[in-house]
Amino acid sequence: MISRIVRYVVLGLLGIFWLLPIYLLLANASKSNGSFSGTQLWSAGNFADFWSNVIAVFTTTDIGSGLGASTIYAIVAPVIAVVLGAFVGFAVIVLKLKHGFVWFFVVFCGTVFPIQMMVIPWFSFSANTGLYDTIVGMIIIYSIVALPFSAFVMRNFFSGISESVFEASVVDGANVWQIFRRIYLPMSVSALVVVFILQATWVWNDFLLSLILTQSTARPVMPLLNALQGTEGGGPGYTVTLTAALLVSLPTAALFLFTQRFFQKGLALGQY
Amino acid sequence: MTSSNPMRHQRAAWAFMGPGVLLVLLAMYIPVVYTIYLSLTDYTGLGTPNFIGLQNYVTMFRDPAFLTSLMNTAIWVVGTLVVPVGMGLLVAYLTFGLKGGSWLRIPFLIPYALSGVAIGVVFNFIFQNGGALSQALTFLGVPGAQTHWLEVAPLNTVVMILASSWQGIGVNALLFVVGLQSIPKEPLEAARIDGASGWRLFTTMVWPMLRPSTTIVVGLSIVNSLKTFDIVETMTQGGPNRVSETLGVTMYTDTFQSDQYGLGSAVAILLTIITVAASVIYLRRQLTIGDASGKGEVAEA
Amino acid sequence: MNARKWLAVAVVTAAAAATLVGCSSTTSGSSSGTLSFAEDKGWNYKPLSAAADKDIDISLKTTSYSSSQDAFQALIKQSLRTPKAPDIFTWHTGSQLEALVQQGLVSDTSSIWKKAIANNWVSPAIEKMYTIKGKQYCVPLEVDYWGMFYNKKDFAKVGITTPPTTWNDLMTDAATLKSNGITPFYSQGGNPWAFVWYMLLMSGTDLKEYNAINAGTAKYTDPEVKTVMDTWLDMIKKGYFSDPGSKTPTTTSFKDNSSAMQAYGTWYPGSLSQVGLKAGSDYGIFPIPAVSDQGGKTPVAVETAPVCVTSHSANKATALKYSQWLMSPAAQSTWSKSQGILPYNPKATAPNATLQAFGKQVTSSSYEAYLRYYEAAPAPVLTSALNNFTGFMENPGDPTKYLQTIQTASAQYWASNK
Repeated sequence: MISRIVRYVVLGLLGIFWLLPIYLLLANASKSNGSFSGTQLWSAGNFADFWSNVIAVFTTTDIGSGLGASTIYAIVAPVIAVVLGAFVGFAVIVLKLKHGFVWFFVVFCGTVFPIQMMVIPWFSFSANTGLYDTIVGMIIIYSIVALPFSAFVMRNFFSGISESVFEASVVDGANVWQIFRRIYLPMSVSALVVVFILQATWVWNDFLLSLILTQSTARPVMPLLNALQGTEGGGPGYTVTLTAALLVSLPTAALFLFTQRFFQKGLALGQY
Repeated sequence: MTSSNPMRHQRAAWAFMGPGVLLVLLAMYIPVVYTIYLSLTDYTGLGTPNFIGLQNYVTMFRDPAFLTSLMNTAIWVVGTLVVPVGMGLLVAYLTFGLKGGSWLRIPFLIPYALSGVAIGVVFNFIFQNGGALSQALTFLGVPGAQTHWLEVAPLNTVVMILASSWQGIGVNALLFVVGLQSIPKEPLEAARIDGASGWRLFTTMVWPMLRPSTTIVVGLSIVNSLKTFDIVETMTQGGPNRVSETLGVTMYTDTFQSDQYGLGSAVAILLTIITVAASVIYLRRQLTIGDASGKGEVAEA
Repeated sequence: MNARKWLAVAVVTAAAAATLVGCSSTTSGSSSGTLSFAEDKGWNYKPLSAAADKDIDISLKTTSYSSSQDAFQALIKQSLRTPKAPDIFTWHTGSQLEALVQQGLVSDTSSIWKKAIANNWVSPAIEKMYTIKGKQYCVPLEVDYWGMFYNKKDFAKVGITTPPTTWNDLMTDAATLKSNGITPFYSQGGNPWAFVWYMLLMSGTDLKEYNAINAGTAKYTDPEVKTVMDTWLDMIKKGYFSDPGSKTPTTTSFKDNSSAMQAYGTWYPGSLSQVGLKAGSDYGIFPIPAVSDQGGKTPVAVETAPVCVTSHSANKATALKYSQWLMSPAAQSTWSKSQGILPYNPKATAPNATLQAFGKQVTSSSYEAYLRYYEAAPAPVLTSALNNFTGFMENPGDPTKYLQTIQTASAQYWASNK
């Protein structure tokens, strides 16, 4: 009983502390360019200024034009990565691929190499093959970048499932594809969702890849957002940029909120 | 007795494995070979690269700023293992099984959802000289308001590690929660009936069965902390005067700001070698133990 | 049933993908009236594009990379030979331009410059900055001169009625401000502004040495430089500078009165208007006096934003026509109005009286223009300088070790580049 109250209190306090920076962002996005001051960061703004900043974002910047592309990338690429990653985990753990660790490690190393160094060769390739500035090209590259994490999570998740499950299904006459689709996939919903939301957020927030590999047609939101922070003259102003930065974070925040039900199951441990 | 025909499953295994391996080999490994080649040249981004052998590597190791960068990267690895991993587990364990627990996790997850611009702005607000943190300290009467959080090394590295933990704890907590959900009920019930509870229950039953999740969280922490770039570039740009650079930042500035692609590539290759070595050592051991420690049945939904 | 359903999904997805690819490829080929324009300044080109469309039937399709100039430069260098190169792009004068010219990647614009000089559209001092080995490349989008922006209320408060015209006057004014609790000068470390006070003091003391260092014929460790750094150190010790580690935006800092003066280019009024500051009533601008007398001419820093034509572009003729138009009074009036800046074309109209007065002063014969340090220093030297000047500003002390580090980078660069 006491331990439960302690848990609520600790988590509540930590949660409030965690949200303080968000308050700072909101408070200062609710100020006009003229009323924002570097020495009064904690003072709250007002809703009227916030609203006029929001309107300015949609009327004076071109952020809105990137939302469609961002949405496509953040949905399609993680789905592809989740599926391919589950394939990898299934092959290595359940089907017991020979030298499974080595091949898994080959895929895993895709997340080891620093992306900044790969972006220029990728640009050369895409410029010379017509994939530059295309939605399809970006989906392909985002899927490949998201794959190693997905493979890692799914491989480890599958390793926690008993071998007898597979053996029994084989004995029952099911083929490998059916076993994968009808038994292993449904069992791993929370792992699939975790991979999806973490990778979808990463893709949504990506800036460098989309800056270099797109130009106009396939350009998502983040390069457009970052472009609002000019160094010499121009730009819509600091608080408008800040408001834009918050607005484009709403979809990913919503994604975390609406997938909470997959992580609510907690009966295994009960009370202690 | 294992499955009927191993050969049949090997072919199926390749059908499943093939696409992933092929994509990664083509898209990732070929640029790495190109980077290795560049690291042996004096390429400036234009014209043709001239082969200069291992000179870049020699230059790299002789530069005191590079050695600082190496040390900072090591601090990042240790710091990331202690704070985001440790606290992630704590948050996961505290919220697990608690009524409304998944809602209490939300404040920790929202930071990860923020755009890079928002993150950069908020940390500048907080940690700049006379920023929100200093203003709060002054208001509360706590000493330290005059500290230049981002200008003194190694304080600025520590501050940045804490800043990145603000996002990292939530992600790790989520991954641990998935692991906790997979722990089978029966052995735990049995242990509880036997009298185990609280700390002992955790160390003898929960922690070992959490291994697949722990491996993911720790493995990714090692890889991501070695690669650290975004948060440092946003907060201090590796400064002032290169004291807070990490290997990722050094690689980037050499290549994209100083036009020394060869030198930057050498840093990238060194970073890759370190990360691959660390991953092999850690994963090889963890995954073998994890797979061999027997598989229980997944708890029913 | 299942297989057919999956086949249908696959077909639809493939068709959708093909349409998307198809859509993007039709826009990649530009019609003769549209130029693809890659830029890294983050400015608003819509008024300019509209004016070009009206005057010469050419419009711009702009892609901005202002969020990462490093990535932009890497991208441009990589793309100039590929079919994905932009028709025109912004760049930097100095060694960055030389690098592209050396590889034959930008078009010669000498005939355009000949016409422009003949029409008195631009001064020969600017032409020099675009000349490499006797030929001109690229054309200027804008030319900005550096001066000292000052807070009129602060000056009035401490009794300074007219802006200083000599260095001694400037230092006296600084002392007056300081004794009244107002920080005189703004300073900021990091990329890009850590170079400002080095540039102002070095050129103001010995312009020849400043230029020689940037050409690799003099050293950062020369005694002339040490003298300049000592002057800087003295000013820092007297508390004349605001906190160089501040991350508050520059315009907000000015509004918050973190310093009475800020040294910036004539592009600054556009930014200041965003935080509600008005030229003439809130702030003014005066030319920065020379530190020591150098033959009666006061050095003034110039930065210029070139627009370059890709030499392999399919729309080269259109791009060159646009380049010629860009230097005309019509284009420059439109541009300076939309930017709130001073036009370099003397026949164009300046947007406000403050800038016009300043512009007249610094383009007169008693001023000598020199290229801003950010463009004049080669890339690896610039990176080292920005790092070391930041270190110097945040831990003020003996400048020798910082100068030595920069000189190492400089020596290394010039050893392999001439």
